[in-house]
Amino acid sequence: MSPNALEAIQLSKSYNVDSRQITVLDRVSLTVPIGSFVVIEGKSGSGKSTLLSLLSGLDKPDSGKIRLCGTDITDLSEDELAPFRNRTIGYVFQSFHLVPSLTAFENIAFPAELNRDPQAAVKAKELLHRVDLSKRMNNFPHQLSGGEKQRIAICRALINSPQIIFADEPTGNLDSANGEIIMQLLLELRQELMTTLVLATHSREISSKADAIARLVDGRIATSSEKVNL
Amino acid sequence: MLHLRFILRQIAGSRNQAIIFVFCVALSLLILTALGGFSGSVRRSMLQDARQLHGADITIHSHYPFSEPLLKAIHDYEQQGIVQGALVNEFYSMARNPQSEKSILSDLKVVAKGYPFYGKVRLLSGREFSKVLSKGSIIVDQVLLDRLQAHIGNTLQIGSTLLTIVDVVTLEPDRPVSFFSFGPRIFIAAEDLERLDLIKKGSRIQFKYLLKVHDPALVDRLGEEFSAMTVPPQENVKTFKNADSRIKRFFENFLFFLSLIGMFTLVLAGIGIQTSLYAMLRESDYTIAIMKSVGATNRFITLHFMAMVMVLGTCGTLLGLILSSLLQLYFPTLFASILPANVTLTISWNVVFEGLVLGTIVVALFSFLPLLRIKNFKPAFIFRKEIEKSGGGILHYSAISIIILFFIGLVIWQLEDVKIGLYFILGLCTLIGLTALITEGLMLFMKKNTARSLVLRQSFRGLFRPGNATRAIIITLSASLAVIFSIYLIDHNLRATFIEAYPANLPNAYFLDIQPEQKTEFSTILGREAEFYPIVRARLASINNKPINRTQEREKRGDNMAREFNLTYRDFLLKDEQMLEGENLFGNRINALYSRGEVPVSVLDTVAENGDIKVGDLLIFKVLGLPLTARVTSIRTRTESKVRPFFYFVFQEKSLKDAPQTIFSSVRIDGEQLAIIQNTLAARLPNISVIDIGSTVEILAGMMHKMSSIIQFFTSFSIIAGLLIIISSIFATRMTRIREAVYFKILGAQSSFVVKVFTYENLIIALSSALLANLISHIGSWLVCRQLFNITYQPLLGSTAIMTAGVIVLVITVGLGASVSILRQKPIAYLRNERQD
Repeated sequence: MSPNALEAIQLSKSYNVDSRQITVLDRVSLTVPIGSFVVIEGKSGSGKSTLLSLLSGLDKPDSGKIRLCGTDITDLSEDELAPFRNRTIGYVFQSFHLVPSLTAFENIAFPAELNRDPQAAVKAKELLHRVDLSKRMNNFPHQLSGGEKQRIAICRALINSPQIIFADEPTGNLDSANGEIIMQLLLELRQELMTTLVLATHSREISSKADAIARLVDGRIATSSEKVNL
Repeated sequence: MLHLRFILRQIAGSRNQAIIFVFCVALSLLILTALGGFSGSVRRSMLQDARQLHGADITIHSHYPFSEPLLKAIHDYEQQGIVQGALVNEFYSMARNPQSEKSILSDLKVVAKGYPFYGKVRLLSGREFSKVLSKGSIIVDQVLLDRLQAHIGNTLQIGSTLLTIVDVVTLEPDRPVSFFSFGPRIFIAAEDLERLDLIKKGSRIQFKYLLKVHDPALVDRLGEEFSAMTVPPQENVKTFKNADSRIKRFFENFLFFLSLIGMFTLVLAGIGIQTSLYAMLRESDYTIAIMKSVGATNRFITLHFMAMVMVLGTCGTLLGLILSSLLQLYFPTLFASILPANVTLTISWNVVFEGLVLGTIVVALFSFLPLLRIKNFKPAFIFRKEIEKSGGGILHYSAISIIILFFIGLVIWQLEDVKIGLYFILGLCTLIGLTALITEGLMLFMKKNTARSLVLRQSFRGLFRPGNATRAIIITLSASLAVIFSIYLIDHNLRATFIEAYPANLPNAYFLDIQPEQKTEFSTILGREAEFYPIVRARLASINNKPINRTQEREKRGDNMAREFNLTYRDFLLKDEQMLEGENLFGNRINALYSRGEVPVSVLDTVAENGDIKVGDLLIFKVLGLPLTARVTSIRTRTESKVRPFFYFVFQEKSLKDAPQTIFSSVRIDGEQLAIIQNTLAARLPNISVIDIGSTVEILAGMMHKMSSIIQFFTSFSIIAGLLIIISSIFATRMTRIREAVYFKILGAQSSFVVKVFTYENLIIALSSALLANLISHIGSWLVCRQLFNITYQPLLGSTAIMTAGVIVLVITVGLGASVSILRQKPIAYLRNERQD
C-alpha cells in the first residue's frame, strides 16, 4: 500500500471567461504522506481553492492525474465519486455549508446515515459532546453562531472517520478568537483520529502549525517544505 | 426616469419565474374572457332577444281552455286592431307511421296563423313556414323521420287522423334547445286540432295565446290588464319583459355554476401570480440590497419592479387573449348538443375590456404584497443573507383587506346575487379553510415525522424549506381536485343508480292521459297487470291562508310551489313509501274535517320541506279554478330514490273522484313488447302517451354527463393554476434546492439520492393533496347522494385509485421537470459561485 494519502501529478486547470482562457493551475504536482498536516498557502486568486477542489474530487483537472488514498479518482464519474467521498474524505469549508433544513445533530449524522452506519446517531452525539455542543443538537444552522456552525461542520467531516480531510479557509469567516478555537479543535481531532489534513489558507499563523507547506503563486507551486514533494 | 434595460435584464435574469407569472396572468385572463365570452354569447343569442324567445309580446298560458272573460277581452282588442293573436297548443301524443308500423311519443305544437310573431321557424327546404303549414299537413323534426323510418310525403297517424309530412323543421325561435323534450317536434295547423280528437278531459295540454301588440308602449299595460282578468292560478300572463322560461332558467343556472368555477380559478391564478412574483423578487434580493446600499430609494426600486410587473402583466394579458380566442374554437365541440343552434360563440369587445380591467386589478392586487416586501427589505442582506420576516404593518393588512373585499364584490357582481354570492364565499372559505386546517395537521405530522429512511426524512424536511409554498400547493390542488372529483363521483353515482343498474323490477314505461273509460281496453292491450294512478291537475293557492307568491317561487333555483301539481287519491302507501309523521294517511278525525268543509291530504316530505308544510296546516288548491281546502294529516317519505312514480299530495278517493282526471300507469315491459304496445295504442287509443323511461333516462344521463364534462373542463383550469404554483414554488426555492443537492453530493450522496429526495417530496405533496381531495369529495358526494338524491353511494374505489395515481404522476412529472436544472447542477459550480459572492 502506498505511504501517501494523496498524489497529484501535473495538474492543470483553466477557465474560459468571455472567450479568454485563464489558467488557474499550471502543471502542479503534489504528494501528501498519510497522517500529515499540509497547508496550501497563497494569496487570494492564487488557485488554492481550485487545487483543493481538484484534489478532493469536487472538480476535474484539464490534464494530470490524482490518486487519493490509493484510488485514481481522475476519471471517476460524479456518481462513482460520491460514495468514495462519503467514506474517504471529510470537508470543512469557509462558509460552513451546513444543510439549512437539518438540525446540528442531523447535519453531523447525515454522512454516516448515507453510509448506512447503524451507529450514526451514537457517533454524532459523541462528536457533539466532544465539541461541547450537545445542548445545541436540535438547533438549526440559522440558530447557531459562526463558530458553532464551523464546529458542527468539523464534526460532520469526521463522523465517517475519513482518511483525509480537506479544509478550505476554515477560519476565514470567523473572528480571531473563534478561529483559534476552531484550528485547535481541528488539529486535536486530526491527531486523535490519525487523519491526513490538507488545508488551504493565507494565514501564516496557521501555516506555522503545519507539517508541510505548499505555496501557490499564479497557479504554480513556488516553494514547498520538506514533506511535500514537488 | 425608468431604466428599461434594467427592467428587461431583471426579467431575463429570472425568466423562469417570469414565464410562470405570465402564465398565471394569462390563466386569469383566459378564464375571465372564455367564460365571459361563452356566457355573453349564450345570453346574447338566446336570452337577450326575449321577444324572439317568447315568440310574442304577451303570452297567456293555461293548462285548461281559456276563461270566457279573458277570451272576450282579447277578441275585443283584436277587433280594435290593437293586438294580433295566435293560439298555440302544446302536448305530447303518439305519432304512428302506418307504413313502417312504428310509433313514437311526439311533442305536438298546434299553431294558428301568425305564429311566430317574432323570429322565424326555419325549414330544411328554406321555404316560409306560414306558407308550408296548412290544413292536413305537418312539419316534423328530422329525428322523427329517422325513428319512424318516414319520408317527406308520407302520412302519419296522429290521434284520430292522418296528416302528411311536408317539411322538416331545423330551428324554432321559441324553443332554442330540444333536449328538454321527451319527443321530437311535430307542427300541426290549428285547423286540424279538432280532427285529432286528442283533447280529452284532464289531458295535459298547454294552451298558449300569443299576442303581438302593435304599439310597444302598450305591452306592460295590456299585460297587467289581462292579468287582472285571469283565473288565478291556472291562467298566467307574461310579457316578453318578465318571462322566465325553463331554458332561460337552465342556462342561467348553468352559467351561474360556471361563474362559480371561474371565480375559484381566478383566486388560484391570483395565488400563482403572488407566488411567482415573490420568487422573482427573491432572485433579485441581492440586486435590491446593492441598489439600496448605494442609495436607491424605495420609490425608485419599487417603481422599477412595478414596471417589470406591468411588462409581464401585458405579456400575460396578450397571451391570455390569444389562448382565449383559440379556446373559443374548441367550444362548439365542447358544448355540442346542449347549445341552441342559433348561438354563435364569439368574444365581444365588452368581454375583452371587462377581462382586461379585471385582469389588471387581479394582477395589481396580488402583486401588491410581494412589491411591498421591497419596502421592508434591508440592505444588510449583502452581509447577512437572511431575510427578515416580512409582513405586518397597516399597508400589509390593508392590502389583504382590499383583496378580500375585491373578491367579495367580484363574486357578488359576477353571480348577480348578494345572498348566493355570500353563500359562495362562505362555501369557498369553508372548502379552503377545511383543506387548510387538514393541511396544517398534515404539515404538523410531517414536521414531527422522524422516518427511519434517510431519503424520506430529507423529503419531509424539504417540505419546510424557506420559501416553499407547500401549504399553498396542497390547499390549491386538493381544493380544485375535490371539486372535480366530487362532480365525477356524483355523476357516476347517479348513472350507476339510474342507468347502469336500472332495477329489473321497476317500471320502465309510463302511460299518460288514459281516460277513465279507456282503462279496460288499455288493460287488454297491455295484456298484463299494471299499476293505475288517478291524476287531477291542480295548483296550490295558499298555505295556512298565506297566498303562494308566484313571482318569488318561480325565481327559486329548485322546485317551486307555484307550478302545477299532480294530485292523486288512494288509501294505501306505495311500496317505497313510509309514514314520517301521522299514524296513517288521513288521520283519525276525517269526519270532523269534512264537516268543516276540509278534506284530509297526505304530503310527501320533499314538498313539505320545500313549502314549509307541517301536519295540521291548511292547504288550498285550485282545481280548474275551483277551491279545494285540504288539511295536512300526514307526512310521507320515500325509502328509495329510484325511477318510480311518486306523488306529492295524496287524497281520499271521495275528495277527488268528481274532479276532471286522467289515469297514469306504469309497467315493466321489455323493449320489443313495448314497441308493439306503443304501436297498438297509437292505432287504437291515440290520446294515450307512452314514455319509454329507460331511453329517456339514458338521454338525460347523457346530458348530465355532458354538463359534468363541461364543468370538469373549466375546473381543470384550477388544476393548471395549482401546477403553476408547484412550478413557481420550485423556482422560488431553486437556490435552496441547488444548495441542498450540492451539499448532499459533496457529502457523498449519488444523484439518485437527490432525485429520490425530490421525487418523494413531490410524492408527499401529491399524496397529501389527492388524499385530502378524496376525503373532501367522498364526504361531499356521499352527503349529496344520500341527503339530496337519496341514492346508495358507491365510493368508486377504482376511480379513486386512478385519480390518486394520476395526481401523483402529474405532480411528480411537473415537479421533477422543473427540477431538472437543479439536479444537473455540479457541486463545484455552486461552490465557485459562493466563493465569488
